[in-house]
Amino acid sequence: MSNESIRIRMTYAKLGNLRFIGHLDLQRLFERALRRTNLPLRYTQGFSPHMRINLASALPLGFVGQAEQMDFWLDQEIPLNEISSRLRTSLPAELFLKDLQVIDNQLPSLQASLLSSEYEILLPADINPQTLKDQIGTLLAQDTLPVQRRKKTVDLKNLILDWQLLSESQMTILRISMKSSPLENGRPDEFLELLGIDPADCLVTRTKLIFEEE
Amino acid sequence: MQTINLNQLEKILYHVEKPGRYVGGEHNQILKEWDFVRTHVCLVFPDIYDIGQPNLGLAILYDILNQPPDILAERAFAPWHDLEAQLRENNIPLFSLESKHPLAQFDIIGLSLPYESLYTNALNVLDLAGIPLLASERGSQHPLIIAGGQACFNPEPMADFIDAFVIGEGEEVTLEFIRAFEALKQSGEDREALFQGLSTIPGVYVPSLYNVSYAQDDTITEVTPSNASVPAFVTKRIVSELPPHPTRIIVPNIETVHDRLSIEIMRGCTRGCRFCHAGIVSRPVRERPVSEILQIIEDGLAATGYEEIGLLSLSSSDHTQILELTKSVYEKFHDRKVSVSLPSLRIVSFSVALMDELRDIRPGGGFTLAPEAASPRMQAIINKPLDDVVFEETVRTVFEHGWLSLKLYYMIGLPGESMEDVQAILEAGKRVQAIGRQIRGNRVRVHLSVGNFIPKPHTPFQWYPLNSNDELQAKLDLLKTGLHRSGIKLSYNIPDNTLLEAWLSRGDRRLGQVIQRAWQLGAKFDAWGENDNMPLWRQAFTDIGVDSDFYAYRERGLDEILPWDHIHTGVTKAFLRRDLEWSKLGKTRKDCREQCYSCGILDAFADKRPVSPLVYWGCP
Repeated sequence: MSNESIRIRMTYAKLGNLRFIGHLDLQRLFERALRRTNLPLRYTQGFSPHMRINLASALPLGFVGQAEQMDFWLDQEIPLNEISSRLRTSLPAELFLKDLQVIDNQLPSLQASLLSSEYEILLPADINPQTLKDQIGTLLAQDTLPVQRRKKTVDLKNLILDWQLLSESQMTILRISMKSSPLENGRPDEFLELLGIDPADCLVTRTKLIFEEE
Repeated sequence: MQTINLNQLEKILYHVEKPGRYVGGEHNQILKEWDFVRTHVCLVFPDIYDIGQPNLGLAILYDILNQPPDILAERAFAPWHDLEAQLRENNIPLFSLESKHPLAQFDIIGLSLPYESLYTNALNVLDLAGIPLLASERGSQHPLIIAGGQACFNPEPMADFIDAFVIGEGEEVTLEFIRAFEALKQSGEDREALFQGLSTIPGVYVPSLYNVSYAQDDTITEVTPSNASVPAFVTKRIVSELPPHPTRIIVPNIETVHDRLSIEIMRGCTRGCRFCHAGIVSRPVRERPVSEILQIIEDGLAATGYEEIGLLSLSSSDHTQILELTKSVYEKFHDRKVSVSLPSLRIVSFSVALMDELRDIRPGGGFTLAPEAASPRMQAIINKPLDDVVFEETVRTVFEHGWLSLKLYYMIGLPGESMEDVQAILEAGKRVQAIGRQIRGNRVRVHLSVGNFIPKPHTPFQWYPLNSNDELQAKLDLLKTGLHRSGIKLSYNIPDNTLLEAWLSRGDRRLGQVIQRAWQLGAKFDAWGENDNMPLWRQAFTDIGVDSDFYAYRERGLDEILPWDHIHTGVTKAFLRRDLEWSKLGKTRKDCREQCYSCGILDAFADKRPVSPLVYWGCP
């Protein structure tokens, strides 16, 4: 059985209670949701076949994802609107399907082509935007921003690509773009901690994943 | 009324391990509009989510209670230490997973008590909910606290804390109970009248309506209902035939134990093993027909997306259509990328044949058999005879048919056991290893899993004392020494854990104070790990002035009133005495489908026996 498989790229939001579900659990959750659709899913060959799915990037526990991406494969072509309607009934309400596309099988994997992520962080109400802006400026003026990650030290400065502070009607939002390759993955919660802000006091949303152009 | 501050809760969830345990939102969760519902029930399994959520009993009750539009059932579990600390520090009451309502706002809290080591957790849950622990200190402003599950066949140790126990199978009585509760509430009657009314529902035990008196020697002289309309004893509830199986089962978002589609294919067991609590309390045997099981699998897979199916019963090879079942399951589901497990198989080659029928959809891993005893003498005492030839042939078949690993369950501390009987376990293990190596070479793995016997209420062994820690330790040492460098794996329970379970399962009402004291001292999650809680329990017995040996180490008189005598399983005490006598004589009984020994079930449930011969009851 070596017929050409159909590769589907799905964009979804991870919201509400599902924010507290980790990456491995999410993967299993998707597998079961896909099984419920009864679509002709592609499995790996061999003694213990596994469903072929591929998630772009792990989203830290507690973060909202607005445009997360995942690939899965089918054994035969099914109209996208059919796939979409089956997925909508089988996904939990807090995993919201946003887009489906058939993509070229030859394209590199999501993980391999992921470059960076954009985040939007709703900061605590008692934050003074001007003070924070100065604080960020001072911080980023330093040569390095070392943070401890398990047993190794990571330079956060290297991982921050761009940032912007927005403030309107008592809401302060930090927009930050960070590297997200498998080798260099920026964590906005680490940046918040450097600023003395408890990430648990914020609502962090990953708004966009940016991939290498083909 | 106190409500949960969701923002505060979310903040806390960042600081705990596996926050997915506490948020609900799983596929097939049922979330109803709180204000549009008349009666709110919170089903509480007082262990962590990872262990409690897969419980089939919970799924059954959740399904039944959520069917009527005017009732809602939500779930709560015991929080792990980290969340508990956060809840206490931030003054947040324990809440339900679905709507995040504080438990105190429900009308009824239904506690699942399948095993005794959950008792302190149950108290902890009530405390975290801000509900007084003692039934006598609660009023109509508090939820009604009810409990059910296998441990409740001796409800007495928890009698101080529970308003009403539901004894036996919950499928029919649960809605009866809720409707009676609603009617009594609506009539505006006080709490006394409510309890009085609930006590007249068959299968419902309201402990506060019974007085227990004791003799000088601490044995029970009398258990009397407090007035004439309260029944003198409570007989468990059963269903005539197994009701429709739930299929829209909640699919956990985080990894749990037994994370699969569990299907009960048969209830009860006709083998009559004398140590077996489940074997007595779940009589009579009722089966699901093959066609129904196939449909449940079909619907269950569609509703859950599970990749593993567990076909559950106390003795799967005894299902009258088991061969047909395994054949059809293979035919229908082998190309669905599922695996099908069929645990609890008897020690006969036929069991291996059943697994063979499942071919490549049986799960990987080893084969498991449960001889429980190794010497012919012990096997006769416990009524689990096993011919050596049959045993060896079964073992040979297991290895010949592709398995490399075999796990064997045994028990130590059984009545009348000598060191020679323990030695026999060792030798059986070595014999199995030799057979395996002969067939498959040195890759063969043999695993002996040894449990400590506890004389359980309602069994023919209920009068026996527990082996002391020293006796059990000596037997374990014999096994450990004997298996040293043998390549055979040994797993076992530490005697202290067994002792705690014995106290709690064999106790009377006076244990209530001890349980509460142990909890105050910090005991909870009593089944976990090496049991660091044991010093707390010993302290609790001392503080309350109750002799723990009285419950564990005393041979009870055959005429003694046992704490659980007023709870009837349908099996008579006369039968249990007779069976004990037979055990002492080394006499075994046949499978009771072949010959009825008048255990009492048929008399107790004559009105429940289905008229149609198409509905299978194991009794002749």
